[in-house]
Amino acid sequence: MAEVVLDKVNKQYENGFHAVKDLDIEIADGEFIVLVGPSGCGKSTALRMIAGLEDITSGTLTIGDRVVNTLASRDRDIAMVFQSYALYPHMSVADNIAYGLKLRRMDKSEIETRVKRAADMLELGPLLDRKPKQLSGGQRQRVAMGRAIVREPQVFLMDEPLSNLDAKLRVQMRAEIAQVQRDLETTTIYVTHDQTEAMTMGDRVALMKAGVLQQLGAPQHLYDHPDNIFVAGFIGSPPMNMALGRVERSDGGITVSLGGATVQVPASVTAARPALASYAGREIAVGIRSEDMEDASLARDAASRARLTTSVALTEALGSEIVVHFPVDAPRVVTEDTKALEEDAHTGDAPVSHHGNIWVASFSPRSRVRHGDQVEIAIDQERLHFFDPETGLAIRD
Amino acid sequence: MAHTTSESAVQAATGSQPPELVRHGSAKGGWFRRTGFSHLVGILALAFSIFPILFVVSASLNPVGTLSSSTLLPREVSLANYQTLFDGSFPRWFLNSLIIASLAAGISMLISACAAYSFSRFRFRGRRTGLMSLLLVQMFPQFLAIVAIYLIFAEITELWPAVGFNTSAGLILLYLGGALGVNTWLMKGFFDTIPKDLDESAKMDGATHFQVFSGIILPLVAPILAITGLLGFIGAINEFLIAIIFLREDESKTAAVGLYGLIADPLTKNANFGEFSAGAVILAVPTVALFMYLQRYIVGGLTAGAVKG
Ligand SMILES: Nc1ncnc2c1ncn2[C@@H]1O[C@H](COP(=O)(O)OP(=O)(O)O)[C@@H](O)[C@H]1O
Ligand SMILES: [Mg+2]
Repeated sequence: MAEVVLDKVNKQYENGFHAVKDLDIEIADGEFIVLVGPSGCGKSTALRMIAGLEDITSGTLTIGDRVVNTLASRDRDIAMVFQSYALYPHMSVADNIAYGLKLRRMDKSEIETRVKRAADMLELGPLLDRKPKQLSGGQRQRVAMGRAIVREPQVFLMDEPLSNLDAKLRVQMRAEIAQVQRDLETTTIYVTHDQTEAMTMGDRVALMKAGVLQQLGAPQHLYDHPDNIFVAGFIGSPPMNMALGRVERSDGGITVSLGGATVQVPASVTAARPALASYAGREIAVGIRSEDMEDASLARDAASRARLTTSVALTEALGSEIVVHFPVDAPRVVTEDTKALEEDAHTGDAPVSHHGNIWVASFSPRSRVRHGDQVEIAIDQERLHFFDPETGLAIRD
Repeated sequence: MAHTTSESAVQAATGSQPPELVRHGSAKGGWFRRTGFSHLVGILALAFSIFPILFVVSASLNPVGTLSSSTLLPREVSLANYQTLFDGSFPRWFLNSLIIASLAAGISMLISACAAYSFSRFRFRGRRTGLMSLLLVQMFPQFLAIVAIYLIFAEITELWPAVGFNTSAGLILLYLGGALGVNTWLMKGFFDTIPKDLDESAKMDGATHFQVFSGIILPLVAPILAITGLLGFIGAINEFLIAIIFLREDESKTAAVGLYGLIADPLTKNANFGEFSAGAVILAVPTVALFMYLQRYIVGGLTAGAVKG
């Protein structure tokens, strides 16, 4: 096990494309870090540089206490799980798992014990004699995992290992991989474009956009305190609701007008974000997550909450909650970040609306609102997010 | 010519399975269009290729042993021609042929596989140029260069007689030069279909380039190795035009050259035909045997299950 440090790592491909820019990440020994971002943002490139499959254009990469920039993959003592699994088709499952150990001329009996242990851990026991083509997708995935863990390397690298599985299996394997990693306590770098995997699996999440690291931190921290609009929109499902609102100074402090409604910003919020006052008289991007809104008739402290009055465009009853879509008469936020997010959403499954500004709230299942109803929505002002509409950065201090 | 004989022997060996007359569908006309037609074509092709073989086999068994007395079905059967053949230089020629063909095919397979691996997997300066020049050189048949080759080897024979005229080594070199280009191209195309993820995965597992090549890639390209090996063997064992210029001494001749000598003289041409036919039949045996052995490697789907998506 070892720590992995990327220091101003850059990758420029031969065709001039700058895929990874000044990537700085310090990964602690035994940590599970998730590299997440939309497709094409350079996650795989970053991972492949750590693996030694791509040259590092500039910057230093340290694994343990060695700078490994020019070291061949096999000398870095790391294992990788590929998106395609890349199992050796002419070898049995057992041989696939044992291949790396055989290359290291390990003792036959030691190989056997290790393969057996890995197979037990991943419930591959009955499959050891099969060829990869005789396995299901989930089983192949396990073999690929087994091949990595049997080597007991310093670092695991995984490039979207679950993206070829169906949704149910993905949830199950997600938990299994996290469990295996916790048991082995091996430093793990996990690449995915799925924010759910990022939220649920990692000790920390590194969110990338167009080759640049946007924010690095615990999943909950990224969720609660996004550094910019991109992070706010990427992390969380449904994505954070946003609209342009005008900041005004009033005798009680600061208010933000969202369309027809005026929301009083609590003193605790303004105190935590001193810079907010300097935006008085200007428009900023205001964000609120779906769970921070509630049917006003059900909200506990509804009296003290800001209200939006609107008509319900769509409801989705999920049993544990009701997802309510409704229009907000405040303008949409349009920045580089939102465009990038929208592009990404087209390839994903997030709902995108081009007409007006549709927000999504999740109400308690006791709410009786249905499509077409007029509804009063209580907003938790404590949980508002504020961003500079030009730079997209969170307004803090 | 020895060429036609052994090639059609190969066809006969593969195409001679009894046609299955299974009826598909109900209408008779439908059956013919769907199944019968292809059987008809198959039977015609079979008859077409069996005819010369039958003629040669029957001539080789004809004790009179002249061209004019040869018929499609032998009137009298004896092994006299084989007897005379083996009393002469033929065993020596046959051995020469086997050595030259096996080595030329084997070495060309090995070198081409290495070259194809590099061209398929590495990015280096001169890669494109190298591939293009291989293709270009390949476009000119070796026979066009026969005069130049003759002159070069006349010189080589002076300096290094070990690889000059009348040596198997020299002829093997010459055959390699002719085969490497095509084989490298053929193999590179096949190597390109093996997912690169497999190489990278093996590299992460700790394999060197050579271990990737020998442990992962080679087992997966077995079909193309078998095909190039077989083609190389057939090409070399049947080659005549260059060999006859290259090999003048009786000791060094290949079977193709030696057998030709039996019927080259206008005076004895007719008389030696039985012997010649016997030689042609024997020469076809190793090719057919090799084909039947390699057939098991010529299968598809070796990479099934390797990668998904
Ligand atoms: N060999 C290459 N040459 C040039 N550009 C490349 C190469 N490989 C990837 N890229 C580009 O680099 C960017 C990042 O790729 P990648 O790291 O694979 O993204 P992802 O985050 O989806 O894994 C993409 O825009 C891709 O087109
Ligand atoms: Mg990728």
